[in-house]
Amino acid sequence: MRPWTRLKTAIAAAAVAVAGLATAVTPASAEGLLETIQKRGKLMVGMSTFVPWAMRDKEGNLIGFEIDVATKLAEDMGVEVEFVPTAWSGIIPALLAEKFDVIIGGMSITPQRNLTVNFTAPYANSGQQMAANIALAGDFETYDDFNQTSVNLACRRGVVGCTILEKHFPKANILQFDDDAQAFQEVLNGNAHAVISSAPKPAFWSEANPDKIEVAFNGANLSTGNEGFALRKGDADALNFFSNWILVNRSNGWLAERHDYWFKGQSAWIDQVALEQ
Amino acid sequence: MTRRPPPPPAPRRRLTAADWLLFGLVAVAIGFVVWRVNAVLVYNWNWSRVFGFVVRVDPETGAWVANLLLQGLFTTIRLAFWGTILAAIIGLVMGYWRTCETLALRIVSRTYVELIRNIPPLVFIFIFYFFIASQLFPAIGLDSIDTASPWVDNAAFRIAFGDPRLFTNFLSGLICLALFEAAYITEIVRAGIQSVPKGQWEAGRAIGLSRSNLLRDIVFPQAIRKILPPLAGQFITLIKDSAIISLISVQELTFLATEVAASTTKVFETWILVGAMYFVLCYFFAFVFARLERRAGRGHR
Repeated sequence: MRPWTRLKTAIAAAAVAVAGLATAVTPASAEGLLETIQKRGKLMVGMSTFVPWAMRDKEGNLIGFEIDVATKLAEDMGVEVEFVPTAWSGIIPALLAEKFDVIIGGMSITPQRNLTVNFTAPYANSGQQMAANIALAGDFETYDDFNQTSVNLACRRGVVGCTILEKHFPKANILQFDDDAQAFQEVLNGNAHAVISSAPKPAFWSEANPDKIEVAFNGANLSTGNEGFALRKGDADALNFFSNWILVNRSNGWLAERHDYWFKGQSAWIDQVALEQ
Repeated sequence: MTRRPPPPPAPRRRLTAADWLLFGLVAVAIGFVVWRVNAVLVYNWNWSRVFGFVVRVDPETGAWVANLLLQGLFTTIRLAFWGTILAAIIGLVMGYWRTCETLALRIVSRTYVELIRNIPPLVFIFIFYFFIASQLFPAIGLDSIDTASPWVDNAAFRIAFGDPRLFTNFLSGLICLALFEAAYITEIVRAGIQSVPKGQWEAGRAIGLSRSNLLRDIVFPQAIRKILPPLAGQFITLIKDSAIISLISVQELTFLATEVAASTTKVFETWILVGAMYFVLCYFFAFVFARLERRAGRGHR
């Protein structure tokens, strides 16, 4: 081997080694999440579009219950808020990869998720309801009516609703979609008998298509969820702060007031989003 | 003496009755699908709401401004532009290394190509984004760039890379996409270099050209001409593949389209419109590449 070639080989080997090292060495963050947020002057919030938790208005801005919650939270911390719209299926990995500080995304607390992330006390309790196609399932009244091999049920991939469907309707076919609108559309088209989603979406869709869709079981909840903020594990101070922020705003009625505004019918905000009437 | 085969007949330039019949059948098939969709699908078509997300009127100034979908298209165009450049550079270097005399460089480039070609794009994107980008960017300080500094907060930066606050997000998507596509470009470049006959190398060496001169003046010009068509195809694939990085929440056309579809519940209008936007973009690039190809072929007989 000529010396020049040998040198090139050495350089190539060194380059590979350095690249490997840079990947392996992660700067350890000594300070807590709260200090990081204060120092940055900005609270980074991971969220995903989900009517009426978070959605786009006509100008393309984010509005919704969660947006109000995160905005007030940042205000109370004395920092700005920045929303990081994230695909739902990758939202927990993105939190772990430090793409943002906290998920305020209507995420229901489940033991499985809790093994990976920390949850605050719940800031909302959403009911899971089913919207059924009237022509196909208008006369279905009990869980058994839906629990048949000929029944197709739709849900949004990765949400609690899918687990509920599997539990209550083990015989039915479960169709998973990447977003709610597609799942509801399948019911509207008659390809699925019903779709599960958190209230008030089934009611909104039923209002928009009164002769096609109804809320199953007369609007009874299949289950009630507890939605909390999700944080990376290992920071008790931040968890304590966020949980108590929720506690305070629950007691003073602010959370309930905002929740009612967004969830009790759409008349208050429908003009902003131009949703289906 | 060899006898040449007769020249092929000139291509027909006029459509015959059979052609029209064929077109008619296709039109009937399309009409049937449209009719079925309308008959079966319970859906209130409402294009105006989705168009509102392309451009909107700013209520304060009364001017037209880009809304989400157009902003997404711009991001996709930026991704296509920088992705093409970055992928071309990586592909060129790696492709050259594939044909290099140094064993170590051949190993590095071969490993790179095989690794990426044998992992599904989706899996590669997730691995890259969560393990590599999220470790590497903070390490080199990219996560904490000052978005208000005059270096970043200016018109040129905005045109080139979009909103400074989304720069890290954009960059990780861009590198991911470029690394992925460059593996295929590497193979195209390697094939191009190897397609240059051995005699050309030998002749170059015989007249005492150095390796770099040989490559620059003899091998690359011939190789480039041969690889331009597959290269163009790969660059158009890059634009289409950019839709995959919506999964790591890069705010490009597909990602923002899911947001619009979820917010308006107008799923079909959104995706048909977005499909049309991609088509126009890719067709435009195909057109540009076809012209480049013709120009490259002109100087060569």
